Amino acid sequence: MMLARAAADFYWMGRYFERAEHTARLLDYHLARLVDTPVDVLAHGWQVLYAALGQPPPVSPTVTDDAEAFLVADAFALAAHLIEDPANPDAIIQSWTNARDNAKQLRPWLPVRAWTCLNDGFFWLRDCDFAEYWARGPNRLPAGVIDRLRLLSGIIEARMSRDDAWRFLVLGRFVERLQHQTALLQAWSRPSNGDSQMWTGLLEVCAAYEAYCRTHSMVIRPAHALAFLLSNPEIPCSLNFAIRRVQSLLSGIDPAGGRYPLRAPHRHALRLAAAIETDLQASAEHVDTRDFLAGFAEECRMLHNLIISEYVDYPLERGLPS
Amino acid sequence: MFRSDGTLRMATERLGTALNNATPEQLMQLQDGVRRQFLHEGITFTVIGTGEATEQIIPIDCVPRILTASEWDHIDRGLRQRLHALNLFLKDIYHEGWSLRDGIVPHELVLGCPQYRMEMLGTKVPHDAYVSVCGTDIVRTLDGFAVLEDNLRVPSGVSYMLACRAAIKQAMPRLYRAHNVREVLPYPERLYSQLASLVTWTQMPRVAVLTPGRYNSAYYEHAFLAGEMGAELVEGRDLVVHDGLVFMRTVAGLKRIDVIYRRVDDDFLDPVTFRSDSLLGVPGLFHAYRAGNVVIANAPGTGVADDKALYAYVPDLIRYFLSEDPILANVETYLCRTTEGLNYTLENLDKLVVKEVGGSGGYGMLVGPHASAKEIRDFAERLRSDPANFISQPTLALSRAACFTDGKLEPRHVDVRPFVLQGRKDTWIAPGGLCRVALRRGSLVVNSSQGGGCKDLWIINEEERNT
Repeated sequence: MMLARAAADFYWMGRYFERAEHTARLLDYHLARLVDTPVDVLAHGWQVLYAALGQPPPVSPTVTDDAEAFLVADAFALAAHLIEDPANPDAIIQSWTNARDNAKQLRPWLPVRAWTCLNDGFFWLRDCDFAEYWARGPNRLPAGVIDRLRLLSGIIEARMSRDDAWRFLVLGRFVERLQHQTALLQAWSRPSNGDSQMWTGLLEVCAAYEAYCRTHSMVIRPAHALAFLLSNPEIPCSLNFAIRRVQSLLSGIDPAGGRYPLRAPHRHALRLAAAIETDLQASAEHVDTRDFLAGFAEECRMLHNLIISEYVDYPLERGLPS
Repeated sequence: MFRSDGTLRMATERLGTALNNATPEQLMQLQDGVRRQFLHEGITFTVIGTGEATEQIIPIDCVPRILTASEWDHIDRGLRQRLHALNLFLKDIYHEGWSLRDGIVPHELVLGCPQYRMEMLGTKVPHDAYVSVCGTDIVRTLDGFAVLEDNLRVPSGVSYMLACRAAIKQAMPRLYRAHNVREVLPYPERLYSQLASLVTWTQMPRVAVLTPGRYNSAYYEHAFLAGEMGAELVEGRDLVVHDGLVFMRTVAGLKRIDVIYRRVDDDFLDPVTFRSDSLLGVPGLFHAYRAGNVVIANAPGTGVADDKALYAYVPDLIRYFLSEDPILANVETYLCRTTEGLNYTLENLDKLVVKEVGGSGGYGMLVGPHASAKEIRDFAERLRSDPANFISQPTLALSRAACFTDGKLEPRHVDVRPFVLQGRKDTWIAPGGLCRVALRRGSLVVNSSQGGGCKDLWIINEEERNT
């Protein structure tokens, strides 16, 4: 039995963790390649990265064309905008701050070590000198963020009991992952991104490159890579993996467990899982996949709304004991 | 720690010797260690400054203060007596009113007090435990221990007491073990059992800590206590009253709450009964309370007994209700509501400490000996315009304790706030308390919002220590 507001706080904390890690993973990959990548390729990379994050470029208003905007912007400014710009509500520091604010209200449920790790990470990120980190290696800071978030995840996995608090936290992570991965695949599926190097990069960002090579070959084919990241049930960053986790977590949260009638978010998650397995496999064409992703993104937003309305903002008369 | 001739008191001999033998670097390391622990754990309070709230780590001093068991036992007996009398007084003013009729306390002082709640007249309070949690500020003067003020509404600071103890135990484990210090850590467990004991309708009551939210200055403490007690940490918006019962909104529907340990002031508890503009409270909560369907601790209306003007009458109340002499003395207090008290205060403003009767946190007070001529003139104006709102007390020669500051050990003024828990049958006092320190040299103000900090307080048994 969990307080609804606390459940929402756990859910959002999970979403902020995932948001910060997703941004950090993309930055880590992209910044590590600054040293030997041509400028126009880098600019294109920034464009795709910003599109995947759903953010406009932070450049002068005189520049109207996206491609040009990323050519004139320097990597330091773009990375700083995504990491530490207080004006950017989705910057890593902002996600971390929001997660910490949520955690403050969850201290009765959160393991002490998890809180101190989160709190230490906040002070580290808030007080770090971005320029100094950049001088040591442009991707050092996002790599550090990833390390700290994984340490935090490890502590949570090791110390939290598998109750509703944990379920809502992980549910938040996977709902956020579903939305981010969908946006990421949408950004990569544009016709201008047919280069196999780009797709190799995507597989690496998703920690799926080795698995792809084992399943297919070292020759990266965009259609195969896309299908792999959509439907492989064993890759943590695939949509199929994420929706299965969401489904299993909702089954644990539902007081009736997996018994029928299922609650609305659970039913919706089942529909999404079925869509990945059936609709998608029925259509192997690239264009259909893009349509599918657009529809899937909308369904993910609806899943979030259903979770909130079912467990947090439900009408009082529905919650009264019988 | 030291006698007036500079030698170590017997009880502090071992600690004093250890500190004397430590190098400044070792002491610095010790101090850094405890401060870092507070930082990592986010042990904070919020200061509401000029329109902006800032979260700060509470300053902690690494040198514990020591009191002997016999000193503490005296305080313990005095606190039990005081709380007993105050609970009887509160029951009396909301029922028969004998103490008012017999002229022990002036009518107007009670009925005119903003904390007096007409709504509580005739309300049955479970087991007459109006005050379940009390934090009384005690100072040591040349004449012994004295009560500076009672905090009966929502006393705070207990989490800092527990955090100090945990940090010090970790920082100086050998010294701690050698002193056989009395343990304060069971406080949350005792708080839970005392609160739960007030419920009669179930053996397994559900307890909730009602907080105003994370912008409150003591939010850390609310979250800490809820976590340690295994209670729910709720805000007003999480609760709903239906059919005279209080429910909280969970992911599995509405669940009944039996005890509310409220950390919200009376005014904001219930917008239907008290302030209608309150967004922090629960509509209908007071109705459920009057119906006896929920326990609220502390009861609404207890603030009348910790009003600083009423404080002057507490020794008389102890004599009246218990037929005993007070064990703990009061600090001499002049009520500015009386002509005599006002004149004396105005004539001696430069020597007195003047406080608002409903004030707290060290705000709105004047410390005469440390005030400038202009501050005294301005304060005199305020005093004349609303004398009933002020009391004055002599500036006390507060005891001092050794603190590690600016790289060396220096004396600083201290007080102590022990916490008393009243349950259905018994009273429990944590053997220790929040020891507050005025960290600025010469300052007498120990409030954390005014540059104060905290340190651990050790209650030790002399006999055992000497073995």
